[in-house]
Amino acid sequence: MQKVVTGVIGNDIHVVANRLIDISLQARGFEVFNLGVNTSLEEFIDAVVETDADILLISSLNGEAEGWCRDLQFLRSEYTLRDVVFVIGGNLAVGEAKQSDIIPKYQSYGFDLVFHQVDLNTGLDELEKYMSERA
Amino acid sequence: MSKLLIDVGSTYFKVCEETKLAQFFRDFKKDIYDDLLTKCGDIFKHYAKEDVYICSSANGGLSTLIIGLTNSFSLKFAKNIAFNSGINIIDTILYSKIEESKAPLELIDVVIIVGGIDGIGGVFDERLFNYLSKVQYSNIVYVGTTQDAAYLSQNIPNLKVLDNIITQKLHVNGAELKEYLTNLYQADIVGKEDIKHLYEFTSNQIYSTPYIVNRSLPLIDANFEVVNPFIVVDIGGATTDIHYSRDLVRDNILSDSEYDRLVFKKLGVYKSKETLIFAAKNNEFVYELLSYLNVTENILEEESAKSLRILMQLSIFLVLYKVSRLNPAYVTLHLELLKSIVLTGGITKVLSYEEVEAIIAFFYRKVMNLHSLPTIVMDYDYAIWTLGMKNDTHKEPKCL
Repeated sequence: MQKVVTGVIGNDIHVVANRLIDISLQARGFEVFNLGVNTSLEEFIDAVVETDADILLISSLNGEAEGWCRDLQFLRSEYTLRDVVFVIGGNLAVGEAKQSDIIPKYQSYGFDLVFHQVDLNTGLDELEKYMSERA
Repeated sequence: MSKLLIDVGSTYFKVCEETKLAQFFRDFKKDIYDDLLTKCGDIFKHYAKEDVYICSSANGGLSTLIIGLTNSFSLKFAKNIAFNSGINIIDTILYSKIEESKAPLELIDVVIIVGGIDGIGGVFDERLFNYLSKVQYSNIVYVGTTQDAAYLSQNIPNLKVLDNIITQKLHVNGAELKEYLTNLYQADIVGKEDIKHLYEFTSNQIYSTPYIVNRSLPLIDANFEVVNPFIVVDIGGATTDIHYSRDLVRDNILSDSEYDRLVFKKLGVYKSKETLIFAAKNNEFVYELLSYLNVTENILEEESAKSLRILMQLSIFLVLYKVSRLNPAYVTLHLELLKSIVLTGGITKVLSYEEVEAIIAFFYRKVMNLHSLPTIVMDYDYAIWTLGMKNDTHKEPKCL
């Protein structure tokens, strides 16, 4: 069973969305470690280390994820992580923003998959496809 | 028959009889037994050994080195459990940096190794053994993933293996480690030459003072004019302890305990005076604070009753500052939610209520930008300590 660490990053308290992601991941057969809302990037990385997770799935609904995710490359370099897949999804910008701007930006921070304003199930389908292709 | 309660501190003995309470300054040329006998010999004559209860914080506490996988979980959880077991001196090593970390020069009482949830293996390797070969320690305990327990037991002599402190939900499971550390602390107190002789005065278990204060916390709001959430600040001669309601912290630790403890090991007004002054001089608000108190920094070098009072006021300020949002290196307490501050220890014998209120008002107005202050409660007669000593409803720790 693949292990996923998930939660909502930064000063974001969208608990319902967080719960829906948790339920959906479990329904798809993942083992879920849900850190809940208001989670810092360091806590996410540390949870991946403690659980030896395969996937880190960060969500953000209030659009402020950018400021919280810039240190991803730095924090992941602190540990020897095996092939962890880094995913972020939700509403990733404040105000209007194009997918073509948002996705490369988050990829440059170190995310493998970026879902900006994409339906939850579509995003999770993409994640499963990515994982099976990688295997 | 009434009880005789004695607290052996690093600077003072506190002695509590049924109706009166006395404190005696320690004579550091004598050992604790002789000093106590000289000062309280007449009092002991009136009590049978089974009616004498002693607690001590004078032995300095256990030194602990924690080696953990991450700051947010293993190190944080183990540190929290150690503090709540009454341990004062804690150093931590992040496992990913163990090769660059220097081994402590002094003898460590207990090394704690922690990391990973159950089900994952291969967390620890040769790097741990290489590091441990450079550390001098008396006890070593493993509280990490069960998958690595056998491997570590084969390679680390006398390794004690206990339940993993990190649950499958990434919550804290501290019961077994806390019991182990508390028992170790008790054994340490009993084993200290100075303390060992105190059993000539009592036939009861000698406790550590932080354990006794911790035992009294659930009873404080029923016995004092204190509203939850509160903090208890015990500024002593060598260290300063702060016990706080968990409602004041927002972290990822879920535990059964309603209270936590934090120790500032170099913040005291007698034995740790130099480090207190150093910390004060490096604080951005201190000159404004000294001006507010109508003194100059020269007062810190003086040996007078007034300088002691200023030092105590500074220590209250520094403790609040260190746990505030301005100092993220320590636990951050949401002091804006604080309803009551209880001050205990020698500080209540020196400072007046007005002096304490002045310093807390300065902190809240200047640092917190708040004009409403929490209620200040002065524990003038060490009631918190005596409350903990009399509270026999809790399970007593075993002595090893």
